[in-house]
Amino acid sequence: MMEKRIGVFVCYCGGNISDYVDVERVRDSIRNEPGVVVARTHMFTCSDASQQEMIEDIRTHQLNGLVVASCSPKLHLFTFRAMAERAGLNPYQYVQVNIREQCSWAHQGDMERATRKAIRLVRAGIAQARMCEPLTPQRIKTVPGVLVIGAGVAGLRASLSLSDQGLSVFLVERAAEVGGWVGKWGKMFLHDQDGSSIIRELLGEVGKRENITLFTQTEVVEKSGSIGDFSVRLRVLNGETVSLKVGAIIVATGFDVYLPEEGEFGYGQEGVVRLPEFKEMVDRTDSEMTHQGRRVHDIVYVYCVGSRREGTPNSYCSRYCCNAATHEAVCAHEKDPTLRQFHLFRDMRTYGKHEVLYDRASQANSVFVRYREDDPPVVERENGRLKVRVKDQLLGNEEIEIGADLVVLVTGMVPRENRSLVDVLKLPVGPEGFFNEIHPKLRPVETVVAGVFIVGASQSPKTMAESVASALAGVAKSAALLRKGYVELEPFVAMVDPDRCVWCGLCQEACPYDAIRKLEIRGREVAEVASSLCTGCGACVAVCPEEAIDLSGYTDSQVTAMIDALALEA
Amino acid sequence: MPRHEILVVGGGIAGMEAALTLGDMGYRVLLVEKEASIGGKMVLLSKVFPTLDCASCISTPRMAAAAHHPNITILTNSEVEQIVPRDGRGFLARITRKATYVDAAACTGCGECEAACTVAMPDLFNFGLTARRAAHIPFPQAVPKKALIERYGISPCSAACPAGVKAHGFVSLVRAGKYREAFHLHMEDAPIPGCLSRACYAPCEAACTRGGLEGPVAIRAIKRFMVDRYYAEHLEPEYGPPADRRAGRVAVVGSGPAGLTAAYFLGREGFEVTVFEAAAEAGGMLRLGIPTYRIPRAVLERDIKNITALGVEIRTASPVDSIRSLKDQGFDAVFLALGAMQSRRMGIPGEHLEGVTDCMGFLGSVHQGTPPDLTGANVLMVGGGNACIDPARVALRLGAKRAIVQYRRSRAEMPAHDWEVEAAMEEGVEFDFLRAPLRFIGSEGQLVAAESIAMRLGDPDESGRRRPVPIPGSEEMVPADLVIMAIGLDPGTAPFAGELAVGRNGALYVDPHTLETSLPSVFAGGDVVTGPASIVDAVGQGKRAAFQITRFLRGEGLVREAPLPGLKAVEVEAALGRSPSPSHRDPRPAPALGPGERSKSFAEVEGVLTEEEARWNANRCLDCGGCSECMECVRACPADAIRLDMRPREEIVEVESVIVSTGFELFDPVLKPTYGYGRYPNVITAMQMDRILSPTRPYSRVIRPSDGKVPDRVAFVLCAGSRDRTVNNRLCSRVCCMYSIKQAQLLMGALPLAEITLYFFDIRAFGKGYEEFYQQTRAMGADFVEGRVARIEGTEEGNLLVHYEDIAGCGCLRKAEHDLVVLSVGLLPNPEALRLFRNGLLTSDPYGYVEEIDEDVNPGKTSVEGVFVAGSSSAARDIPDAILHAGAAAAQAAAFVEVGRRLEG
Repeated sequence: MMEKRIGVFVCYCGGNISDYVDVERVRDSIRNEPGVVVARTHMFTCSDASQQEMIEDIRTHQLNGLVVASCSPKLHLFTFRAMAERAGLNPYQYVQVNIREQCSWAHQGDMERATRKAIRLVRAGIAQARMCEPLTPQRIKTVPGVLVIGAGVAGLRASLSLSDQGLSVFLVERAAEVGGWVGKWGKMFLHDQDGSSIIRELLGEVGKRENITLFTQTEVVEKSGSIGDFSVRLRVLNGETVSLKVGAIIVATGFDVYLPEEGEFGYGQEGVVRLPEFKEMVDRTDSEMTHQGRRVHDIVYVYCVGSRREGTPNSYCSRYCCNAATHEAVCAHEKDPTLRQFHLFRDMRTYGKHEVLYDRASQANSVFVRYREDDPPVVERENGRLKVRVKDQLLGNEEIEIGADLVVLVTGMVPRENRSLVDVLKLPVGPEGFFNEIHPKLRPVETVVAGVFIVGASQSPKTMAESVASALAGVAKSAALLRKGYVELEPFVAMVDPDRCVWCGLCQEACPYDAIRKLEIRGREVAEVASSLCTGCGACVAVCPEEAIDLSGYTDSQVTAMIDALALEA
Repeated sequence: MPRHEILVVGGGIAGMEAALTLGDMGYRVLLVEKEASIGGKMVLLSKVFPTLDCASCISTPRMAAAAHHPNITILTNSEVEQIVPRDGRGFLARITRKATYVDAAACTGCGECEAACTVAMPDLFNFGLTARRAAHIPFPQAVPKKALIERYGISPCSAACPAGVKAHGFVSLVRAGKYREAFHLHMEDAPIPGCLSRACYAPCEAACTRGGLEGPVAIRAIKRFMVDRYYAEHLEPEYGPPADRRAGRVAVVGSGPAGLTAAYFLGREGFEVTVFEAAAEAGGMLRLGIPTYRIPRAVLERDIKNITALGVEIRTASPVDSIRSLKDQGFDAVFLALGAMQSRRMGIPGEHLEGVTDCMGFLGSVHQGTPPDLTGANVLMVGGGNACIDPARVALRLGAKRAIVQYRRSRAEMPAHDWEVEAAMEEGVEFDFLRAPLRFIGSEGQLVAAESIAMRLGDPDESGRRRPVPIPGSEEMVPADLVIMAIGLDPGTAPFAGELAVGRNGALYVDPHTLETSLPSVFAGGDVVTGPASIVDAVGQGKRAAFQITRFLRGEGLVREAPLPGLKAVEVEAALGRSPSPSHRDPRPAPALGPGERSKSFAEVEGVLTEEEARWNANRCLDCGGCSECMECVRACPADAIRLDMRPREEIVEVESVIVSTGFELFDPVLKPTYGYGRYPNVITAMQMDRILSPTRPYSRVIRPSDGKVPDRVAFVLCAGSRDRTVNNRLCSRVCCMYSIKQAQLLMGALPLAEITLYFFDIRAFGKGYEEFYQQTRAMGADFVEGRVARIEGTEEGNLLVHYEDIAGCGCLRKAEHDLVVLSVGLLPNPEALRLFRNGLLTSDPYGYVEEIDEDVNPGKTSVEGVFVAGSSSAARDIPDAILHAGAAAAQAAAFVEVGRRLEG
């Protein structure tokens, strides 16, 4: 083996690390480790300037191993691999040691021991780097097609943009009709566009595109392969199945409306309706509004139904409802200016430009009454009429009673029931049941399943415009992935030593990706790994009784050396 | 013309996201950012809600990725001036690359210039909480990490100097304690700093911005301090003749300020220079005209050494009477700097009496060591210029009983400098205004009296001054032992009249740009050309002549224009605008002898500032131009990357599609005066608080600005400048609730015992994970008070009384005291976005944001086909929404380009 020349760079992270770990001491403690030829500290190793300096070091010292001790590899693994590559070092000879999330942030009260732990972690990283071989990523040709799941406004709009960019689209809808919630609605905030017309136009355009194939009453039942080259199987309601090859998958499955429990703010009683149903009523009405044949004079809106309920799965804010309710009040007022409307709210969240909806509603015979979460309104029926009791904060929490012909429960968004799709795509789901992105700030449409994107309200509650924007953001990510024509996969895959393998089949059972097959070599049955399917999870390595499987980049000997390094006193 | 496919205007988080996505798709992207670094406002933040990720940590990789992306070209310090749609398809964009005064290719970002820079400016990266140098690297993670120099133009003082002396430069060097460097800087522009520090009329001070406040910076006195200190330490110049000699011999005729200056610069160039001086000693007017109580002769001698040290030969007692004689001696070029030393005569009876003389004759005799004895004498000066003041003051020093200046106009019309008149009056010189002599009366050829007549002022004459008209019958007689006529000086050019074109009053005719006379290779400058002017004007002429003669001798041809367009002088209003409320600092004048003391001797009247006084005065400088041109960065830069001659340049690029991502502006809380921002130092903005909490924070911990106290009670005022019709912004800014909650959490971490209060009226925690973050912050103990803040008052201890309506509580008005108040300022549209296109082509919504004409179905689509908007240019957005929106804009631009190409192709 070539003589190892390792550079170690320890990051201050501008205080995120150095406030709790003595970074200089960490550097001094490891500078004489075998193989280390240069060791430095940087204020922000990720900054461009520091990267330039590290590149200089890699070149000057002709490094063939690189360790950066900074934050989680989730954040910067690719940053530093790219840097290594620019410096002419094989990116897989780079090892990232996490001394922030796994050290400084976890041990803020004990600098001495945090520092000692950091030293051990860095030593383990050096031990790993000492045995790092140059690896080459697998290059896979990508399929220039995208599977879009869900034909609501987000899915339809995404399909058109993908088609514009020359990518084939397979648009799959579980229901018989496309259009989702928007297709059911009339005037929508913020621009008073008609939802059903929008859907009609989008659908008409989809129909014109040769490179969009629409499947309704269809579900995705199988997915295999990896980013850039997925195989999926669809099952249509009539039992027919379709197999497709796509390079990326956009999930646009939308949301559902919260269904209140029986009795929740009077739900279940005559005249107590959810916001979407109320919207359909307003859409249908031309002038005077009636309910069950009776003229509606007084409407009471109860906000935050199914939202912001601490201690329940619906502890989140549903974001769209304040806007939608105030907008609907304005629409109702336009139809019947004699309507008296009362809004019982907690915080009015007509954020951004939606503030004008709040303004308009205030000027349109709407009265706003703030209630406290711990003292919610009570909806009752008295003498055949609905009555709402609430304590008004502006009146010094005096209880007032409002008679109502209609009580509108301003219901939030909840995740759709998508269990089978989650299983098929292995989608990560957050605590509320919406799909989870890789990083809520900077990578809001990407998921941990590379090549699978989540858009629209399937990721979290959104307005229509926001859903469409996120759908196009998913398009942009898909196009960025597919228009290059190829994708590079991590070379960390399992390798079988055929001389040791006795084909017991345990590895094949353990593999969650169906990447292991039986092969006959020189009359012996042995295991073989399909490297394009292998994700490097290591399940097979662990179960092999003959120790015949090793993981490139994380070999047993590397891991052993790391454990030995960690065990040494710092 | 550089070829790019998509132009992204603005390199904040949205612009970077759009550029990276489009770059990944394979498009060649041009990303133009007006600031020195990409990263926008996000990289300035501490952490981001609701994940509390370190903002630097998650934005710097994006910045680096954009910088290294093979398909992305980044132009920082560049502004897109205008975008014009082309016929058919695509756009032309005009881009100004601003002058950074640093060669970015050569700069290594080492920071040496910053360490050497002598000018401190508000650190805009830290929103003015601290200072940075005029030469600086924007912030540690800047991409690209290159220095730049903050420079608004030439400071008014430097721009006012006829000799181009960098007054701001040496003042800032003295402020920094770099006295030797200050002297050397001066020597780059004028070689007689000793004389100038004493007798310059200091047009720099007249131009000083501080002049409109407590009084100008005492620039001349500062120079005096620096020169005296240098001369005390360096009796001889630190240099000798230049090692590289050049072919070319120059004769300089006259050793006054113009001649000495020209000889100095020509000597530095390596030419062989000979100065011919008619008088017995060098110095011209500096020696013969200016009394020693103003310029001690030792100072003049030391100044002259600056010239002779270069190997310049000064031949005294060597009058020159023809150009031919110089040519015969083998000189290749001649500079005539004869000065203007011939006194005009009045042409009245008695002018030739013994006892009637002129100012140069009188001062010459004094300065050449043969002063008349004036004990008990009555001395009458005639005239109103500076030339009559010095003889009067000298006469008193020589024992005169009375020294009277008779001037035919009033004080207001006197050409003499005010302060010279003042000094003369203090010493006892009498002034007899509106009176002129009619004749001088003698006895046996000796003057005994002067008869004069009173004048009144009539209509203005051609000089614009009112013409004096005699008042008949007002004749008067005064006894006089000596009359000194000082009514004007003319150049003595009679010997050259046959060879050169001579103008009015004997002035030599020259091309005003090149200073060349009617004879090629012969140049002239100073008083001989301009008529009597000032020392520093003559220095300026000598310097310019040397420049042209150097070109002439090198065979480069004379230039009529400066080779480089100069920077404009900074306007005083602009300079004051940048430092709206400088702290009050009175000037400290140089010491001077008392009037009684000084009229008894020829001792120097004006004293020198102490070091402390000099630096105090220098510290009053407002750094109007930003960079002071002190040249320390030029000396310090190891990469030789400083280019003070850099100028903005324009580029035109052609693109197929445009993404506008110019971001937002922050509400300026000065516009909400009831909140006291700008009046109370402990009322800060949330952006400042974010800086205080950031890993690259300006202070080592959380302290309040006024006194550095660690605050115990911090209040946040939400909706500052949002949802507020009184500041013409009815919109909600979307991010303020959440960033305030984030800061509250961070503060509770940094200051566990502090009370944190948030005044709000709706908490808008609507995004993914936001409500949970809000509830967590409540649970951690932050006090959320529902109620709009009416006003904020300061207390004597620097605390703040917040008056608010307690909506959720008693419903009444209450007040609470806090140590530090953070205004959660809102987001406003950036009007620059709309200016990218002329004639309102790019439309705005009713609030001034770029309009999205079909937001519901086509996010990012604007009124201009092919132009898309990303991020906060079209609405206030938080980071995730800006990222999504930028992704959408990228998809839209890509679709536009692809569909267009298919149609074409």
